[in-house]
Amino acid sequence: MAFVKLNDLEIEVEDGTNVVEAAREHGIEVPHYCYHPGLSRPANCRMCLVEPHVFFPPAGAIVPDRQLATGCTTVLRTAPPDRKLDGKYDFIVRTDSERVKKARADILEFLLVHHPLDCPVCDQAGECDLQDYSHRHGHDKSRYLEVKNVPPKKDLGPDVLLYATRCVVCTRCIRFADEVSGTGELGLVHRGSHDEIDIPRSHEGVPLQLLDNKLAGNVVDICPVGALISKDFLFKSRPWFLEKADSVCSGCSVGCNITVEYKADGVYRIKPRFHEDINQHWMCDDGRLGYHYVNSDDRLQLPLKRVDEELTPTHWRDALAVITEKLSEMETEDIVVIGSAQGTNEDNYVLQQFAHDVLKTTQLGLFGQLTGEEHKFPQFTIEADKNPNTAGARTILGSANGNVVLEGDALWEKVSGAKVVYLVSGGPERPLEDAEKAALESVDFLIVQDVLPSEATQLADVVLPGTTFAEKDGTFTNSTGWVQRIRKAIDPPGEARVDWEITQQLAKQLGGEMNYHFAGEIALAIAEEVPEYADATHQKIGDAGIKLADSD
Amino acid sequence: MVQERRILYEHLDVPDINTFDVFRQYDGYTRFEKAIAEYQPDDIAKMVMDSGLKGRGGAGFSTGLKWSFVPKDIKPCYLCCNADESEPGTFSNRYVLEKNPHLLIEGILICCYAMGIETTYIYIRGEFTLGKKMLDAAIKEAYEKGYLGKDIRGTGLNIDIYSHPGAGAYICGEETGLIESLEGKRGQPRNKPPFPAVEGVFGKPTVVQNVETLCNLPFIVGNGVEWYTQMGPTYADTRANPPTPDPNTGTKLYCISGDVNEPGVYELDLGLTCSELIEVAGGLRGEEVKAVIPGGSSAPILTHYELDTRLDFTSLTLAKSMLGSGGIIVMNETRNIVDCLLNIMKFYAHESCGQCTPCRWGTPWVRDIVQRIADGNGRKDTMTRPKFGVAENGRWGDTGETEEIYEDLDLLESVANNIANVDTMTWNTICVFGIAVSWPAVSYMRKFRPEFEATIREGKLVTLPVAEATVPPEENYAYQQRFVPKEFADL
Repeated sequence: MAFVKLNDLEIEVEDGTNVVEAAREHGIEVPHYCYHPGLSRPANCRMCLVEPHVFFPPAGAIVPDRQLATGCTTVLRTAPPDRKLDGKYDFIVRTDSERVKKARADILEFLLVHHPLDCPVCDQAGECDLQDYSHRHGHDKSRYLEVKNVPPKKDLGPDVLLYATRCVVCTRCIRFADEVSGTGELGLVHRGSHDEIDIPRSHEGVPLQLLDNKLAGNVVDICPVGALISKDFLFKSRPWFLEKADSVCSGCSVGCNITVEYKADGVYRIKPRFHEDINQHWMCDDGRLGYHYVNSDDRLQLPLKRVDEELTPTHWRDALAVITEKLSEMETEDIVVIGSAQGTNEDNYVLQQFAHDVLKTTQLGLFGQLTGEEHKFPQFTIEADKNPNTAGARTILGSANGNVVLEGDALWEKVSGAKVVYLVSGGPERPLEDAEKAALESVDFLIVQDVLPSEATQLADVVLPGTTFAEKDGTFTNSTGWVQRIRKAIDPPGEARVDWEITQQLAKQLGGEMNYHFAGEIALAIAEEVPEYADATHQKIGDAGIKLADSD
Repeated sequence: MVQERRILYEHLDVPDINTFDVFRQYDGYTRFEKAIAEYQPDDIAKMVMDSGLKGRGGAGFSTGLKWSFVPKDIKPCYLCCNADESEPGTFSNRYVLEKNPHLLIEGILICCYAMGIETTYIYIRGEFTLGKKMLDAAIKEAYEKGYLGKDIRGTGLNIDIYSHPGAGAYICGEETGLIESLEGKRGQPRNKPPFPAVEGVFGKPTVVQNVETLCNLPFIVGNGVEWYTQMGPTYADTRANPPTPDPNTGTKLYCISGDVNEPGVYELDLGLTCSELIEVAGGLRGEEVKAVIPGGSSAPILTHYELDTRLDFTSLTLAKSMLGSGGIIVMNETRNIVDCLLNIMKFYAHESCGQCTPCRWGTPWVRDIVQRIADGNGRKDTMTRPKFGVAENGRWGDTGETEEIYEDLDLLESVANNIANVDTMTWNTICVFGIAVSWPAVSYMRKFRPEFEATIREGKLVTLPVAEATVPPEENYAYQQRFVPKEFADL
């Protein structure tokens, strides 16, 4: 630990921390553009200048160093005993001296020289570092009278636009493409004040390579100004109108930490949230752009039941009555209950409790929704299992005594012989394979709980409208054993209800003794019943998540 | 009359000196042979330290001291020869490369031997096509004669030289910009520290030396330190107690251009005055000297009041300028300083690498301001303000007079100082390109302020007579731009 005097604070920081981070930990802002904790540090924006102090022998005193230093590359380390300043400090640095303030204002003036100041039409306005720092550290007027550079707007890839006029050439995006995605599509063209970010192009300007890797969306997040803009979010909303909910991505089994940004009418965008061990600062575009099904107009909003071969909207009481009637006259071995890897641990726990305690069946299925390709990048992996909670659902469904969780062929074989199947699905639509379809067709009475019309709901006798990850609370367990919370952002559409509530209502109607009021209560029950999840209460999981003890 | 003392250039005009055999007739490679026969590597390093050789590339940093920073235990270690001579007004290395490339190779061999280096890269300016051709031929010849390659002359030394042409960027003459370019990246200087001596080419310790510096080595080894230190003055830095010697030894290749009768490269002892140098170069062309740029276009300008300034590293530092690359440009009374500054600023605005903010957007801004003034659109306020200067009590303060406000001159000074402050010698940029921009901008403007003011007032370029155009030294801040303790004395 290094003992550092930061302004008037005396702080202890870990060796190797830079001044920007050390200051941030103590609530002091050191403005910066090019520095990003997940990337290398070229120190080219010169915005994070700070004033280190050194011992000046002729004066016998500690004085401000002649040159200001960049806070991002000034690393704090324990000094040898004979090099301590004032006998105790490993480093003395000021971030609030007049010199520093002047340097910041001067740099901001340069940054704004060619900036179009088009905040009123810029997507970044409201979450723009240039705006914020200008407000806090900059001059209130410009002395620049000359003509501004107007580099052209460019289409870099499927989801990324470059408004080159707004660019401050911090090169974060270039370094991201070089270091994290390793795809290196981006580079600087021209020189000096004509520097532009660009993709490789022929002499005629035809793109030779697009910024189309699966992590490309991150460059929009890390762009400190409004230069790189997501086409998906372009002109959709002002960021200050958006509410935010911390959640976990449901796109694959990595479990990237995300922030769901939403308004009452739906989810507007998804941004990654820092988690050191899982996704660092990043997320993939599949997850980032994969939320659209949540806002879909096709979402199931009312329960449906089959009347004269047609699925007809009905109300909850009627739908549940039909199911209750059917289930109560069935033998235990004729019923198969299938949980979902798209559902939360809580959904699956209530489902297995319903199956085990009420229906007295130990034969449960796990419906793997989707599988895809694995994509590996130097600092990021997108996993093949496209379900957020395969590991959790498998453990939870099999948690009660004697429960067997069937998957794949074994499950569909079992389904073929069953009379009633209660299939909980959820998540984006997936076409059924032939064997699955044949198995479901052979079922006498099929109950499907899903969020979108799908091939499974086509075959169903009763369809119950469930909810997506954005509409409920709960926990997901990722492939490496991290249990993390998802949080409700928007209300479910129409009369759709949270999945575990539907199951609980069914259980109650069949005489089950279940009375959970909120997801956290179920998590407490899981913690009691499932040994691995003993610590996985919502309080303990918090924002950081917890890692299950017995997983690697 | 001062005579040239030709050492590096002694045999420059010998026909076919670029071939091994002719070079050999004139003591070629004997100094290297002497070095490996008579001295240990550390002895050579000590000789270079004792000789007081200062790097000739521009900064004038002690070569021996630079070598001492290189960690001995990290191998490989590289030598980078900086032959990217691109400072406007400088053209001395070019003749070495074109006419006597074996001298450079010999210098490189001595440096490699002293530092235990096996690989040398010569980063040669792309425009030097003839120089590159000559150099490559010489390298090939040296390989054939067994002075390069494996087990040189049976001593077990392995030294390879690769020449690498630049692509025309001024900034690749900056040592870390050069290294980046050499590694195949965009020519953008690195943050320092770490300095190249610790982490240079491919992350390994690297000695970066100018062609002229390396060419001095054979003569230091061949003729001894004592012979070498006789040339040029040695000052005493009296800030230390006892005063430490501040040597400016050896000769310098001065490239004299502009308004002189015989422009060209002259090899002279360090420490001659401006006037002497102009005389050596055939005298002034024109009536009187208006200004002298002492060290390439980035050096602060000297006025006719400062012609007795000695042209060596220390004296020019004390005169708030620098020797730089030794590119001396003389201007006579017909030259317009605003126009000169515009020319120089166009160059720097074009050559800024664009890596860091102040330089990327500051340099074109400075150029635009100068352009505006030169176009006759400079702004002048109708108000006046109290004039600050040396007041009656002899101290800095309100002089009781008023002065007119030239907004664009204030702006020019402010913007240039925001890139790199010439008064405090601090810069917000990554490399010293920033100071290379603001030094001329501020010094031209301060020292020739009447000409700038006249240009703004008249709305067109006005060339004033020398006496009127220049601010006299005794009453002006212009001459005290740079904070240097004045406690140097002749030793």
